[in-house]
Amino acid sequence: MIAGGNNGNTKKNLNAELNLTPFIDLLSTCICFLLISAVWIEIGNLEIKQTMGKSADPLTQKNDSFNLDLTYEGPTKLKLKLKQNGKLLKDLIVSATDSKQTIQVLENAIKGEIVPLIPAKAYQFANAAVTPTESVNYGQLVSTLDILRKNKIVNIGVTATVGKK
Amino acid sequence: MRLSQGKVEAKPFERHLINRRRKRSAGKKSTEFVLMLTSMVDMFSILVIFLLQTFSNSPEIITLKDVNLPDSLTPSAVKSAPVLAISKSGDIFLDQKLIGSAKEITSAPRKLLDQLQSIRKNWKSYHKEDFSGEINFQADKDTSSALVSQVMGLLTSTEFQSIQLAVLGK
Repeated sequence: MIAGGNNGNTKKNLNAELNLTPFIDLLSTCICFLLISAVWIEIGNLEIKQTMGKSADPLTQKNDSFNLDLTYEGPTKLKLKLKQNGKLLKDLIVSATDSKQTIQVLENAIKGEIVPLIPAKAYQFANAAVTPTESVNYGQLVSTLDILRKNKIVNIGVTATVGKK
Repeated sequence: MRLSQGKVEAKPFERHLINRRRKRSAGKKSTEFVLMLTSMVDMFSILVIFLLQTFSNSPEIITLKDVNLPDSLTPSAVKSAPVLAISKSGDIFLDQKLIGSAKEITSAPRKLLDQLQSIRKNWKSYHKEDFSGEINFQADKDTSSALVSQVMGLLTSTEFQSIQLAVLGK
C-alpha cells in the first residue's frame, strides 16, 4: 500500500498493520478440528453383482461367456470349474492344510491354470460365482474375491448355500 | 519473506519495516527479531484448504464399533448408499438401526424386506438420480460366509443387486 493524498512535504502514513494473531488462531483451530475429526481408516469397496444368470447382458450373448464356479467344501478345500458357453473347460480341486495356505494355493491355481484359458478380450464378460460354506468366514470369502479381482475377473457373485457345513 | 537490505529497491511495506527496525535499534543492539507471519498464514491457509478438499470428496460411511472389517488388496472407492451391517454378535443393522438378530432375520425376513422395500420406494424423494440397486454391506470378518450369502440373497430379492462389500484398504 502506498500513502496517497500527500500535499507538499508532509506524508501521512496510511500503512495499517493487520493484526494477524486472531487469524492464525482461527486457522490453527480449523486445522486441529479437521485433523481430529478426520477418519484415518481407509474404507474401500468390493463390488458384488448378483444378477448373473437372471438376465444375460446382450454383450455377453454375442461373445463367448466364461463362467468360473468356486465352491467351498470346507475352509481348506474348494472346487473350481471353468466353463465356456456352458462347456466344461477345466475342473480343479484346491486344498491345503490351513485357510491361509488355501488362499495362496488358490491364487496360484487361478493365475497358472484358469487365467491362461480366458482370452484377454473375454475378461470383461467372464463371470465368477463363489459358493461358501458355513465353516468359511467372511474374511476368507473377501480374500477369495480379492484373488479374482486381482486376476481381472470383476463380475463376481456370491451364491447362497443351505445345509453345507 | 526476507527483507531487502538496500532501501532503494525495497517495496513500501518492506521499507516501513526496515525504518522501524532502524529506529528501534538506534544506539543499542537489538535483541528482538521480526517474525514474518505472512508465510505462516499462507501455509496454514493451504493446509486448511487441502484438508477440507480431501475430506469432502469421499462420502462418509459409518462403521459399527462391533464390526472388524476384513482387509483387501483391491478396494475401490466407497459409494453413497444405504448401509446394512452384521455385527460380531450377530445383530443386523440397517442404516445404524437395529433390525434384529441374524437368526430372527434369516428365519423371518419380512421385517428386513419391508425396510429395504421402503428405502427403494422412497429413493426418488430423497435422491436426484434413479435407484441404482446399490447397497453398502458391512460384516465382521469372523462372520460365517453362509450367513453373509443368505443376507445377500435377501438383498437381491429386493432388487439391491449391486452389493458393495466394505473392506479395509491396505
